[in-house]
Amino acid sequence: MIKPILAAVLAVGFFVSPTMAAAWTYTDGAGKTVTLDHLPTRIVAHANVAAGLIPLGIRPIGIYVDSVVADDMSLRGLDLTGIEIVGEAWGEINIEKLAALQPDLILAEYWPLEKAYSGMEPKASDGTVIEQIAPVAGPAQGDSTVGLIAQYEALAALLGADLTKPDIAANKTAFEASKAAFQSALAAKPNLTVLAVSASNDALYVAEPKGASELSDFKAWGLKLISPEIADDRGYWETLSWENADKHQPDLVLVDDRYGSTILDILKSKPTWTSIKAAAAGQVGDWPAFWMRNYKVLSEQLDKLTATIRASDENLTN
Amino acid sequence: MTTMASPLRRSRNLAAGLVLLALLLVAVALASLAVGARPIPVGEVIDALLHPEVTGTNATILRELRLPRTLLGLLVGAAIGLAGAIMQGVTRNPLADPGLLGIDAGAALLVVLGITIFGLTSLPAYVWLAFLGAALATALVYAVASLGREGATPVKLALSGAAVTAACGSVITSILMTNATTLDAFRFWQVGSLAGRSFDILIGVAPFLVVGIALAMITGRLLDAMALGDDIARGLGQRVMLSRMVAAVTWIILAGGATAAVGPIGFVGLTVPHAARAITGPSYRWILPYTALLAPILLLSADILGRVLAPPGELQVGIVTAALGAPLFIALVRRRRLAEL
Repeated sequence: MIKPILAAVLAVGFFVSPTMAAAWTYTDGAGKTVTLDHLPTRIVAHANVAAGLIPLGIRPIGIYVDSVVADDMSLRGLDLTGIEIVGEAWGEINIEKLAALQPDLILAEYWPLEKAYSGMEPKASDGTVIEQIAPVAGPAQGDSTVGLIAQYEALAALLGADLTKPDIAANKTAFEASKAAFQSALAAKPNLTVLAVSASNDALYVAEPKGASELSDFKAWGLKLISPEIADDRGYWETLSWENADKHQPDLVLVDDRYGSTILDILKSKPTWTSIKAAAAGQVGDWPAFWMRNYKVLSEQLDKLTATIRASDENLTN
Repeated sequence: MTTMASPLRRSRNLAAGLVLLALLLVAVALASLAVGARPIPVGEVIDALLHPEVTGTNATILRELRLPRTLLGLLVGAAIGLAGAIMQGVTRNPLADPGLLGIDAGAALLVVLGITIFGLTSLPAYVWLAFLGAALATALVYAVASLGREGATPVKLALSGAAVTAACGSVITSILMTNATTLDAFRFWQVGSLAGRSFDILIGVAPFLVVGIALAMITGRLLDAMALGDDIARGLGQRVMLSRMVAAVTWIILAGGATAAVGPIGFVGLTVPHAARAITGPSYRWILPYTALLAPILLLSADILGRVLAPPGELQVGIVTAALGAPLFIALVRRRRLAEL
C-alpha cells in the first residue's frame, strides 16, 4: 500500500523540482525570509497592508480588519469588491474562513515593539496556527510613513505589480507636490509650533513624534512638533491632568482622528481645552494618526494640513 | 470598654464621633478644592470660589473641574458606602458590594449596547444607560432569586447575582471583541474616575443620590430586624418581603446612580461598612450614618492622592481606592473576624 504512494510522492517531487528555479523569495521587515515555489497570487492581508498594496495594483483575495470595515480609516475610499473579510475585530482572525481561501501567503505589518505581526499580537498560539495555513510576512513599522510606503512598493514589485502604471506614478507625483507645498507653507511660517494630542475623559495625551511614523515624517519635513519631556514607558505619550492641559502652548493643535471626531468631541467638552490658546483661537487640525499607507491619502492629508498651516497665525504664542 | 458603658453614654459617644467625622469630611472637601495636579495658591482658590468676577485658567479649573468633582465625590462616596452597607445587611453576606449583585455588570452592559447600537459617546448618555442597566440587573437578580417557595434568600440573591454578572459579562465581551471603536469608548468608562465629570453629570445624578441617601438613612431599623434572620424578623412583626423591596430600591438608586456618574469603584462599598461596624457595633442605625461620612472621606482622600501621585497626569480614583481599600480590608479582617452578618 505504502510503496505506490511513496513512488507517487517521489515522482511529483521529481517533476516539481525543475520549477524550483523559479522560486519566489521575500525577506520581510522582521528580517524573515519566505520562499515559495511559485509567485503567490492568493494573498490574505491585514487591512493596513491592503491599504498599502491595492493602490499599487496588488489585490488580496481576503483581508482581516481590526474593527468593522466601515470604522477602519486606512480602508476608506478603497474598492473592496470581491475581497473576502476573514476578521472584523482586533486579534480575531476566522481560521476556518482563512483556511478555506487556501492562501499562498499572509501579509501583515511587523511591529518591532510588540515583536508580532498586526492582528496576531494577543495570542502567540494564533500566529502559530496561522503560520500552518500559509507563511506570514510583511513590512516593518518604523519611524517613517514614506519608508513604510517604500517597503510596500518593493513588495508589490516582487509580487508582480507594474509600478510604472500612470495612476501609480500620478499618485507619487501628487505626493511630491503636496510635500513641496507643505514645506513651502512651513518655510513661510518659521515660528509655527505644533502639538499633536489625543484624549480620554480622564486625561489629555500629548504625542511624542517618535512614537508615530507620520509625525516623524512631518517633523523631518520641517514641522516644529513639540516633544513632551515625559513620555510613558513605551515612549508614545505624555499624560496630562485636565488641570494641566495648558502645559504646552503651541500655535496649532493637531487632534488624533483615528475614530473620526470622537476625540475632538471629548476635547471640546473639557473646560480647560481652551486654556490651550491655539484651541481657543480655533487653530486646530486633524492628525491622521497611524493609518496612512499610500501616497494618495498621504498627499490628501498633507494638502489638508498645508491649508490648516496657511490659515494659522504663527505668532499666536511666543 | 464600650461594653461597660451605659447605653445612653454609648449613644452620646457615637453621636460625638459623628460630629467629629462630619468636621473631618468638611476638611477633606476643602482639601479637595485646594489640592490638585496643578498647584494653585490658597489665596487664588478662595478668590475664585468667593468672587465670581475673577476669571482665568485657575478660576476655570476651580469652578468647572474641582468643584463639581468634589461635590460628586461627596455624593458618590456616601452612595457607594451606603449601597454596600445595605447590601451586606440584606444579603447577610460580608462580601456584598455593587459588584456582587450584578449592578456593575448590568450598568456596563447597557453602556456597551448604547455605544454599539446607538453610537453614543457622551458621558451624560452613559449615565442614563448605566442607571437603567443597574435597575434592570437588580430586578432580574431579584426575580430569579425569588423563584421558589422560600423567596429571595441571601444565598439565592448572591447566586443569582453571580449568574447575572456572568451573563452580562459574556455579552459585553462578545460585543467588545467584534467592535474596536466600542472597546475604545468603553475603556474610558471602565475604571472609576471623578476626573472630567462636569456639572451636567452632577446635576443629572444628584437628585437620585440625595433621595437614595435619605432613603438609606431610614432603612436602619429594617436592616437591624433582618440581621436576625427571616424567621425572627417575621416573629417581630416585620414584613420581610416588603423590607427587602425597600432596601433593593434604595441600593439600585444609590449604586446605579454612583456607577453611572463615575464608573465602577471598588472596595469603598465593601470596606467602609466594615470599618463603620468596627466602630459602632452591630446596629445599622449607627452603621449607616457612620458609613455615609466615612465613605466620602475615603473616596475624596483617594482622589486627592491620585491627583498628586503622578504629575503632570493623575491616577484614576478607582485605582487608588483599590490600592488603599485592599490593605485596609485585610487589616480589618485580621483585627477582628468579619462580623457574622
